[in-house]
Amino acid sequence: MSEKQSPLILLRGLRKEFNSLVAVEGLDLEIQEGEFMCFLGPSGCGKTTTLRMIAGLETPTAGDIFLRGERINDLPPQQRRVGFVFQNYALFWHATVYDNLAFGLKIRGVPKEEIDRRVRETAERFELSPLLKTKASRLSLSAMQRVALGRTLLTEPQVFLLDEPLNNIRPGLREIMRAELKRLQKQLGRTMIYVTHDQEEAMTLGDRILVMNMGRAEQLASPRQIYHHPETLFVAGFIGRPPMNFLETRYRVEGERAFLARGNLRWDVSEKKSIIEEKVQGDRIVLGIRPEHILPIAEARGKGLTGQAVPVRVDLVQPLARQKIVDLKLEDQVIKMLVPGASPIARGEELEVIFDPKKMHLFDQETERAIV
Amino acid sequence: MQTGTSKGITTARIVETRKLGPALRFLLALVVAIIVLLPVVWILSISFKPVEEWKADPPTLLPRKPILDNYKVLFQIGNPVGTVREMVSSAEPVNRAFLNSLIIAPVSTVASVLIGLCAAYAVSRYRVGGNFMPFFTLTTRMFPPAAFAVPLIFYYSWILRNYLKIKLYDTHLGLILMYTGFTVAFSLWMMKGFIDAIPRHIEEAAILDGASPWRVLFTITLPLVKGGLFATTLFVFILNWTEFLFALEFTSRAAITVPVQISRYATAVGEFYGPKAALGIVASIPVVIASYLIQRHLVTGFTFGMVRE
Repeated sequence: MSEKQSPLILLRGLRKEFNSLVAVEGLDLEIQEGEFMCFLGPSGCGKTTTLRMIAGLETPTAGDIFLRGERINDLPPQQRRVGFVFQNYALFWHATVYDNLAFGLKIRGVPKEEIDRRVRETAERFELSPLLKTKASRLSLSAMQRVALGRTLLTEPQVFLLDEPLNNIRPGLREIMRAELKRLQKQLGRTMIYVTHDQEEAMTLGDRILVMNMGRAEQLASPRQIYHHPETLFVAGFIGRPPMNFLETRYRVEGERAFLARGNLRWDVSEKKSIIEEKVQGDRIVLGIRPEHILPIAEARGKGLTGQAVPVRVDLVQPLARQKIVDLKLEDQVIKMLVPGASPIARGEELEVIFDPKKMHLFDQETERAIV
Repeated sequence: MQTGTSKGITTARIVETRKLGPALRFLLALVVAIIVLLPVVWILSISFKPVEEWKADPPTLLPRKPILDNYKVLFQIGNPVGTVREMVSSAEPVNRAFLNSLIIAPVSTVASVLIGLCAAYAVSRYRVGGNFMPFFTLTTRMFPPAAFAVPLIFYYSWILRNYLKIKLYDTHLGLILMYTGFTVAFSLWMMKGFIDAIPRHIEEAAILDGASPWRVLFTITLPLVKGGLFATTLFVFILNWTEFLFALEFTSRAAITVPVQISRYATAVGEFYGPKAALGIVASIPVVIASYLIQRHLVTGFTFGMVRE
């Protein structure tokens, strides 16, 4: 390696099989000191398994795990000095909050007075002081989460691994705890790896997000990057609510100009002609457009946007707090448009919309990868 | 208005059945209780009856002249009424049987539960033996015990004794081994259920805090299954304390247990109902005491499954 400091965690070709079922496949990843990394994906995508392999709770079938440049594949979990916060907190139910917090220090043979001092300090920080003598099984969910975090923090791990720790907490409190967590991480400057299937959580917490699907890494990038420049069809469809609309189109060339064609509709993609021809084998291209980038024609013209006018019929209008989700019927397909709450669009209405040409995403239908 | 009326009627009807409900339920419970408890009352009553009343016709529910002679005869205290003493004098005093039972049942219970606990932990956490082994242990309970008795006699009183010079017939060790062997399947399966109910994550959290596997077992898992451990211990103790067939087959004098002793109060002269009943009452005392002591833990044991997942 060069002079460059080795990353805190390095995964190389990580693979895990459970009885011939592949949970994680060829994962490469670098996590830097102090980073807040989110693993995001649907359930069963391998994100928790990856986390458990880093902790040493699962043994990789193949591949290597490095911690500060040292290969730790064979290091037992006790010696890895990683902190793990489980989805259900995994508190010691039979013990008091105090004993839960003190457990790791006791194991390490820390002197009694010091344990006491540090436990009380941590209890203070997490507002657990009045609960120190309470049994863990009697705590509220938010208190459980704070105990789980505090317990992990006390053992001074090199990295925090968090497995959907906010899952069981009711909405409302969730957002508060999320902010707490982010503040804590910034305050401590510790590395955290956070597993979630909730994109909002990942987007708000993560410095970087690793989107996973079917055991593979789909994209590793900043939240902004992931939203604005999804690299695969999966990421494009997974991130954003309501999800991105996809239209199957054919690539057509007429002289100098290039188009995506669908029935009578044609979207000019001449600017991307060379890159498309370089990257795409066939002529099948998926056009992706986010609901907020579809505009009624009048509004689009007002903003000086031009392009193919798409005739649609309004199928359904769902009002949200500040916006409305409008289901548009385009031939036999439904596409979703996001409009301001004051918009007068009504069900059954026929109208024309325009896709913001700068915000269109193109994907090779064959490889499902973005064309950029 | 109309709906209001109909609602009123339904409410009234519900109230009526509600009123009737507890009374009916109480009555039903009473009937069941009488059916179940009558033999207990009967045996208690007989244990205080003099010999003439044992088989009185019509029978008496409560003894007309309650006496303690049946109990005195058991332990050969004082000078009980002549007839009873004569009838029972052929039988051994119960002291030895009691002492034997008090050694054999607890020792085999502790052994069985300890082995069962370790096995259950291995099966539950490390999948030792796959699916087959835990199932296979149940074969010890699949056949009527009598089916095992003959081959085991062959072992105990012939092979082991004659060729290996190990004396197991009519010894404490003989019964302890047998009881341990036959109850270990229960211990394993009961403890497996309790251990399975503890989320694996709790142990993993302890491991990541730096605890060794043994430390995890003793400081985390065991305290969490404490209730289950007590429940299993009580259950196995009751099995061992009341076991009759093997004790009858594999003891003659030195190692006889209380259930065998009870069976001794029957001779050609007739059944000695009084002492039999008295011994039955005395024999149930240790189980009642053990249950009472363990009861508090049983409650926590059985509600453990409510741990929030």
